[in-house]
Amino acid sequence: MQPKLKSKVRCADREVGEITRVIVDPLSREVSHIVVGGNGVGGAERQVPVSEMQSVTDDLVQLRAASSALAQFPPLKREDYVTIHEVEIAHLEDHLHVESGEVLVPLPTLERDVLRRTFFMNLTHAIGALVALPLAFPVLKYLMKPMYSPFDNAWLKVGNVNRIKADDVGVQLKYKKKVKEAFMPEAEVDKNVWILKASPAVLEEVYKGKDMEFRDQTGRLVWTNKKDVPYVVFSGKCPHLGCGYKWRKVPKLGKEIFLCPCHLSIYDPSGKVLDGPAPRPLDTLPIRVDAGGNVEIIDMEFKAGTKAQTRIV
Amino acid sequence: MTDQPTQMSPVKLGLAVAWPAFWTGMPIKIVLALLLLAMGQHPWEFPGLAFLLLLSIPVDIWAVGLSGRTVLLERLGVEPPASLGLTLWWQGAALYATYGSLACFLERQTIAGSKAVVARILDLELLKTIPIAERISIELTAWGSIAAVVLLALALGGLFLFGKLVQRQADAASPAAASYEARVYQWDLMRVPADQPLMLTVFTAVGVSMVLMLWAFMPVTTPHPHESYKQDEKKAAPVLKPTEALQKAERVLTQAETSVQALEEKARKNKGKAPEKKAAAKPKKA
Amino acid sequence: MSGQPNVLEKVIAFVDERVGLKTLQAKMLNEPVPGGSRWAYIFGSVLLFIFIMQAVTGILLMFYYVPSADHAYASTQYIIHEVDYGWFLLSYHFWGSSAMVVMVFAHMSQVFLWGAYKSPREMIWLVGLALFGIVMGFGFTGYLLPWDQRAYWATTVGVEIMDKTPIVGDFMARFLKGGATPGQMTLSRFFVIHVMILPATLMGLAGLHIFLFRKAGPAGPFRGTPDELKAKTDYFFPRQIWKDMVAMGAVFAAICSLAFIEPVVLLEEATPDPGEYHPEPEWYFLFLFQLLRLKIFSGEFGQFLGAIAIPGAFMALLAALPFIDRSPERNIFKRPVALIGWIVVMAAILIFTVSAIINREFLD
Repeated sequence: MQPKLKSKVRCADREVGEITRVIVDPLSREVSHIVVGGNGVGGAERQVPVSEMQSVTDDLVQLRAASSALAQFPPLKREDYVTIHEVEIAHLEDHLHVESGEVLVPLPTLERDVLRRTFFMNLTHAIGALVALPLAFPVLKYLMKPMYSPFDNAWLKVGNVNRIKADDVGVQLKYKKKVKEAFMPEAEVDKNVWILKASPAVLEEVYKGKDMEFRDQTGRLVWTNKKDVPYVVFSGKCPHLGCGYKWRKVPKLGKEIFLCPCHLSIYDPSGKVLDGPAPRPLDTLPIRVDAGGNVEIIDMEFKAGTKAQTRIV
Repeated sequence: MTDQPTQMSPVKLGLAVAWPAFWTGMPIKIVLALLLLAMGQHPWEFPGLAFLLLLSIPVDIWAVGLSGRTVLLERLGVEPPASLGLTLWWQGAALYATYGSLACFLERQTIAGSKAVVARILDLELLKTIPIAERISIELTAWGSIAAVVLLALALGGLFLFGKLVQRQADAASPAAASYEARVYQWDLMRVPADQPLMLTVFTAVGVSMVLMLWAFMPVTTPHPHESYKQDEKKAAPVLKPTEALQKAERVLTQAETSVQALEEKARKNKGKAPEKKAAAKPKKA
Repeated sequence: MSGQPNVLEKVIAFVDERVGLKTLQAKMLNEPVPGGSRWAYIFGSVLLFIFIMQAVTGILLMFYYVPSADHAYASTQYIIHEVDYGWFLLSYHFWGSSAMVVMVFAHMSQVFLWGAYKSPREMIWLVGLALFGIVMGFGFTGYLLPWDQRAYWATTVGVEIMDKTPIVGDFMARFLKGGATPGQMTLSRFFVIHVMILPATLMGLAGLHIFLFRKAGPAGPFRGTPDELKAKTDYFFPRQIWKDMVAMGAVFAAICSLAFIEPVVLLEEATPDPGEYHPEPEWYFLFLFQLLRLKIFSGEFGQFLGAIAIPGAFMALLAALPFIDRSPERNIFKRPVALIGWIVVMAAILIFTVSAIINREFLD
């Protein structure tokens, strides 16, 4: 039990006064001294360590020493101390119980009804939730506007097959694409694709006996690459993480392959993954070649790093 | 003196009931008007107005009942009679229909009349030279103050009559025995429903369904587009049918061939007449 | 309530042990409102709500708006015409700013009429006047951002008026314009002031305003015996908060309704040639605008008088109010000077605003 302010102090022989102040150790948050004052003390208030206390009750503290010995205790030097309102000591109130009573404030009459209080609390929550709720759906759609744009399936002219000199050799076709984003003025970006004239064996590898179908988001068929058309166009982006790859002759393998410089994925002329971290073969694009040998493609981009091929542009 | 019920002048009484009743119903009516607007209806035109007025009836009955009971208890110290809201509502509606329309008419006449008089005064030679900005403000202040004073008088008259209606209800009621504090507690507690969970569930459900209706009805793109804004037209991918293209090409070629043949025939016919013409008439290869 | 505490209660107990959550909550919410919670006290909370909504809609607008002279108009039109519900969010933001000005006037009037600016609440009043200035600043800077004719010319005229301030006028005008004439620099400056500087300042000052208010305690009604006040006293939570909530709901619905009735429609893109367009500021500046049309304010000195001196003197009077009016009487019906003064000022603002609207017909 902690000594209480204003409780009487008794020495071994007689009552000497009362506790006028209490001193707390700021680190341990425990009462370290009591300050005894009053007529029996005579003169200055004396600072008495708690070790001198023999017993403590609510209204009385019994000291071991005799009243005559009281003078040995040092007088209080008030200027060496500050009140607990002048300094911030964490959680001090939790550890301090030196007041002998409570200070109370009456609850207003209107607040005494618990039912009323809970009703208005719940109603406030209900109204609060409803007030801004109307914005939730419009805001979501507002923010999502550019996220799932419909696909542009326009045919773009990218080059001519007269650039291809031999079978099964990758040839890069560079082209410019017109882009209009939201409110920005129309801009041109540089893009590229790889085309090769496939021999029947490579063509078989690419198509695996089936025509290749390209669909849009609703599942509607946009184009079919017929498996007997010998020209194959690959998207210029590596399906691993989207880097631009190259056609290289590898002396060690003695043949030419597609090589991606970023993470060294290697593809054979049919696009099949020979080595490296690529999760799927090179992505084929819709192609049509007109009578004059002009190559047209539908520009598509696919999600990088996944085994399944998902169109994103 | 606080425990003694107060006697109130009719105007004060009328205001004490009408003012809170008006504002109590307002949030609900604003929400209803908002729903109408989301559906593309104007709440100040029929049919939206009819819908709003119809739904306002129960709201107003409840609101005027609530304010009436509060005032009767707290200020006049009487027990509110049953269905106070309904009684005050239909009496108030009758008052609004009769006195209200008369007051509207009088106010409109006052405005028109004072505007005309003020305009005539300012047209006098003496005042004709006042510049336009000053003239506008002076005119407005002049007829505005007259109209405002008349409006105030008419409003006070209306409140007076309404206050008398409320007083009649209070006179017929039995006095409340409780102290002021207890009476305040009583009207405060009147606002707490008997079945809280039910009330709260219904309230939340109605609120949520109103929000859902709002989302369903509100237009996604602006209802007032700018006249010169061009909507971003996405060009549909031209659907190409290869066989059709080939057939078309064939048709063009055959047409070209026939016209070439025809011209050659013509040239042969003119062979004797103009050899140079023949050379000039040689058509270019398609 | 019996049995083991559930997860939520355990979490609350955990935090309470470390932070004193329960006492903190009690101190913040259980503030007794003398004379009871009142609908007249809602304006402050409603202002806070409107500010938060403006911040939210403003942030959303920034997802698509570009503050450069070549893209500001196009991006705003994009928001209105292309983005789903963009027109609604922009219109909400626009009408929300008008609502804020109306509520500021209502709040200031309520504080004035209740005499709640008197001792010991002088500092709250002064901070409040600063907040009023910030709200006006928000309206003025935001108006330029769509970069259409209305925006550009209202700003041009407004900054020219500020130029009339003696000594610092030219510096201030050049600072705001970022040069001698309005252009990209102006747009950039107005943008950063509108979305960064003013919000930060407002949040700081609003926090101070609320702190000072809690320290002084609510002033309460200006009449009523102590017994009457005691009988009606209740706590800030739930009763006053509930009233605040209902008011917020009503204001929210009202702003949404205005957005539906009159969605934002831009004029043509800003050009240095005003053409057929007659410049006009936002409606809450119209009374000043009309005042400057009066002949007594013509000429350089006249413009200074009407645009700077008189409004400045009025603001100075408001600031000095708690120090001039030292009488402890708070009942408005016993303060005839205050009551008549308020009526005259409100009537004058109303008359000049309506005059400005009537004046439009005479310009064509």
